[in-house]
Amino acid sequence: MTPALSISHLRKVYRSGTVAVEDISLTIPEGEFFGFLGPNGAGKSTTIHCITGVAEPSAGKIEIFGIDAVKNYREARRLVGLCPQEFNVDPFANARQIVDWMGGYFGMGAKARKERIDYLIERFDLVPHQKKQFRELSGGLKRRVVLARALINDPKLIILDEPTAGVDVELRRVLWRYLAEINKDGRTILLTSHYLEEVERLCRHVAIVSKGRVVREGTKDEIAGSPGGLENAYLIATGAEPDHVAGQ
Amino acid sequence: MGINWIGLYTMVRREASRMARIPIQAFIAPWISALLFIFIFGSVVGGRISQIGGHRYLEFVLPGVLMLNIVNAAFIQASTAIYFSRFIKFVEEMLVAPLSYVEMIIGSLSVVVLRATVTGIGILLMGIGFGATHIESWPMFLFWIVSVSTVFGLLGLIVGLWSKSFEQLNMPVVFLLTPLSMVGGVFNTIEMLPAKLQWLAYANPFFYFINGIRGAMIGFDEAPQGLGIGLTLGLLAVLGVTAWRLYATGYGLRE
Repeated sequence: MTPALSISHLRKVYRSGTVAVEDISLTIPEGEFFGFLGPNGAGKSTTIHCITGVAEPSAGKIEIFGIDAVKNYREARRLVGLCPQEFNVDPFANARQIVDWMGGYFGMGAKARKERIDYLIERFDLVPHQKKQFRELSGGLKRRVVLARALINDPKLIILDEPTAGVDVELRRVLWRYLAEINKDGRTILLTSHYLEEVERLCRHVAIVSKGRVVREGTKDEIAGSPGGLENAYLIATGAEPDHVAGQ
Repeated sequence: MGINWIGLYTMVRREASRMARIPIQAFIAPWISALLFIFIFGSVVGGRISQIGGHRYLEFVLPGVLMLNIVNAAFIQASTAIYFSRFIKFVEEMLVAPLSYVEMIIGSLSVVVLRATVTGIGILLMGIGFGATHIESWPMFLFWIVSVSTVFGLLGLIVGLWSKSFEQLNMPVVFLLTPLSMVGGVFNTIEMLPAKLQWLAYANPFFYFINGIRGAMIGFDEAPQGLGIGLTLGLLAVLGVTAWRLYATGYGLRE
């Protein structure tokens, strides 16, 4: 079966000369819930940027459901929804416009767009806030808008770059439930997060990156099943000292 | 994969919504400025200047004033839209969407032409209202509005991609567009210039844009229209290829 995402020897060097991704290879089967972990600056967001077209890979190959994400970028992008780490949104547009415009960019007709927006606005409790300018919303509400925008085209591959950073427990739970639901329906999800309990709860497969390379990969049960659980495995893989070692 | 018409239309809707948030800057300011030109050159200065080519001075000046505003509207619309979207990073919304680079450019230029046309038609209506102008050739009038606004829309996109600060964004307006347009024959014929400096006017592309629209409006021109049309089409080709190349390589857009 064609994997949802296949990355082969991805390398990204910025114009400044900074090597953000040294050599990353990953294969994510369709329907997987994949955790992509690593410390700040490890290359997670850059990898995501290369997958989605925000950054140009320096070398390597990326395929989304078998479609080359660089050569056939338009076909590949139709299948992806991205919730970025930063709020890359027109601050003067209102919540509904932001989601609507993204649906338009994806070529969705007015009727399909309206139905999908109504559903997402309702699902993420944005009904009272949909006409407010983005800059007037709280951090949690902003995150909801960006999530709704990522899901407007009902993507087969959903990429979430720290989607619950700075949000309250309530939204986190709403999002967890929603993600579990759409994953059960067959959607493939790539999640980065610094909340390890979130990854443990949702993901079935985990890759840990450090200094632009995958340093550990396996099923969640394999990795979290080792002594000290996922946190310990993460700290060892990324070269940090686990608490029980640091305390000695 | 076919053309993403809905995506293109969305780009227009989005920018139209942005323009609707700034009506004074987008439309009222150029219209007021044109109104002041009509007053100054119609009543204050115009009465003291003899006719030029059988036309009152206001009739002679107004097409140039209209062209100046079209150039400004087109350049500012294109450059600020792309620069602002880069600065705030919402340009990424287009980068992750299934839009081709050509579609991104055409979407941006559609709004540029829309803004320039509304600005130009507004000034034209004011001119007609004050009995200061008329139209000799509608097809040529529309050709000059659309082609010149596209030229400066493309230039605006290139400058918007290149700029790393608001200061840089304004540099072409201050050092290139305003000086060249002012000496491009808005206020005077080439004959009025000293003989030794007349070649400067012929070397200035703005002269051909102003000459072209003046010919379309009042039927007065100082250079063959074909030369201006050829120059404009040449600029469209060069700037179009440059803008496409910048988009395709991700210059100023992608990391």
